[in-house]
Amino acid sequence: MTAIAANRRSELKRAQARAGYLFILPSFALYLTFVLAPVIVTFLLAFTYYDAIDGASFVGLDNFKRFFTDGRSLEIFWNTLRFAFFAVTFNVGVGLALALALNRAMPAFLLYFFRLAFFLPVIIAAAFVSIVWGYFYGDDLGIINYYLIRLGITPVRWLTSSSTAMMSIIIMDVWKNTGFFMIIFIAALQGVPKTIMDAAIMDGASYWRRFSRIILPWISPVIFFNIVYASIGAMQVYESIVILTSGGPGDSTRSMSIYIVEEAFGSFEIGYAASVSVILTVVILILTSLQLIASRRWVSY
Amino acid sequence: MQTRSRQQWTDRAIIAIMAVLGVFMLLPFMWLFSMSFRPVADAYKMPPSFLPPTFDLTNYRAVLASEIPFLQIYWNSIQIAVLVTVGQLITCTLAAFAFARLEFPGRDSLFFIMLVGLMFPAQVTIIPIYLGYAEAGLLNRPIGLALMYLTSSFGVFLVRQFMRSQPKALEEAALMDGAGYFKIFFRISLPQLRPALSALGIITFTQTWNYYFQARVLLEPQESMTLPVAMDMLRGFMGQGNLSMVMAAMSMAVLPVILIFLLAQKLVIEGVTMSGIKN
Repeated sequence: MTAIAANRRSELKRAQARAGYLFILPSFALYLTFVLAPVIVTFLLAFTYYDAIDGASFVGLDNFKRFFTDGRSLEIFWNTLRFAFFAVTFNVGVGLALALALNRAMPAFLLYFFRLAFFLPVIIAAAFVSIVWGYFYGDDLGIINYYLIRLGITPVRWLTSSSTAMMSIIIMDVWKNTGFFMIIFIAALQGVPKTIMDAAIMDGASYWRRFSRIILPWISPVIFFNIVYASIGAMQVYESIVILTSGGPGDSTRSMSIYIVEEAFGSFEIGYAASVSVILTVVILILTSLQLIASRRWVSY
Repeated sequence: MQTRSRQQWTDRAIIAIMAVLGVFMLLPFMWLFSMSFRPVADAYKMPPSFLPPTFDLTNYRAVLASEIPFLQIYWNSIQIAVLVTVGQLITCTLAAFAFARLEFPGRDSLFFIMLVGLMFPAQVTIIPIYLGYAEAGLLNRPIGLALMYLTSSFGVFLVRQFMRSQPKALEEAALMDGAGYFKIFFRISLPQLRPALSALGIITFTQTWNYYFQARVLLEPQESMTLPVAMDMLRGFMGQGNLSMVMAAMSMAVLPVILIFLLAQKLVIEGVTMSGIKN
């Protein structure tokens, strides 16, 4: 009797396992083919010199040495870090300021309008909005310069001067992405306990004091999350720069993603391009693990 | 009393300032739509329009009649976005069901391996995929771009999390009654997943519609391009004089995403922010 029951149970178990593997099969096979295997191949290619005819030959750390000793690639690495630093600071900073401003009672139609105005840029492709901004940033026919001249201000060479081009790209990036961080911050601000805030107001605590003593500590894990999340995105910056400046003037706005595409598919330096993408990935992995550690702390809050 | 009315006034002042800022945020979009209606001859006349001067569709017709295969490009974008969305909804829910509800050896390690995929940017997979596609004859074919996104670690994760928050009593009862796993999945689990699936569907569609990096590398000839890459090409191709036509093409290109956003604002915001808090 028990033997039969046990037998039946193990049969059920086997059927369940079979079903389990079958259910994950499509997803897992696609994942292996299009994510895991390519990542492994890229990491291997990074240590090779690749030739379309002769295939790959092992060259050790040569590609990495080249990246870290070449002036041009270092400038591009530096550009990417610089872009990420400013884009992250302003995206998160402005997002927080907007969230603080909007986190108050208002009629539903205003709420809809604000969500529309600040979130629409987030969901429209960077490629599309960069083209529009390209016309805004024009030297002679540009819209911003037209209004600057009307106001009696000297026009700015937004994209054609190597000292301002990066700043212009960052401004557009903040316009495009800050709404995302604003939404996350609003959600966090709504979690600040009302009783504590009311008590502080009753005690006559100034706004700044309430902000620095109650709000800031309460949302600090979210600030950290936003910074890391923004950095991961900013390190991969590609189409906004390709469309606005193509990396120029000179190399002053070239990012690592642009460099990877140019080296891999322009010069067919496959091995070298793979090593650049490995470096980019390692930076992103470090940032992601920071996020994982942070979100663990966040959960225990 | 005094402080309360003062608080009200600051609230109003801040909201008024934010409303002005909100209009400024929308200016690029207002400009893009307005310029698409301007006669080509006036395209560069200053001041620019931020409200449509007419509703004359000449520029739109000109885009469709031009030598650029705009409809083909549009069709490519639709095809890829729909295929990827449907594909992800199927593969991700199937896998999520197994990870959330079934027990089998190695389940948790397999799930972990899939989660690792969240950390890799497109830059680190593109070279081998390009080389592989060149071998397999998938380069410059829209189906190639769709194929590589038919599943996503994020989708599996999202649906699994959602499924775990749902009671599993019904599924267990059905199992007792001797129903097969596919039947349980289709009849009981799937209907409960509607909110998660509509969020996943919307994010996936807009994300795929917006892909640029991958599309630019994998789809080079005009006939196989998608809209984001084509718009960049169009800008150069139509030249300086045809700003209005470029903006007419652009208006058509952004239309689906804007419509989705206007109709399902809450769902889009929820979906996109969820895709942010994926870890």
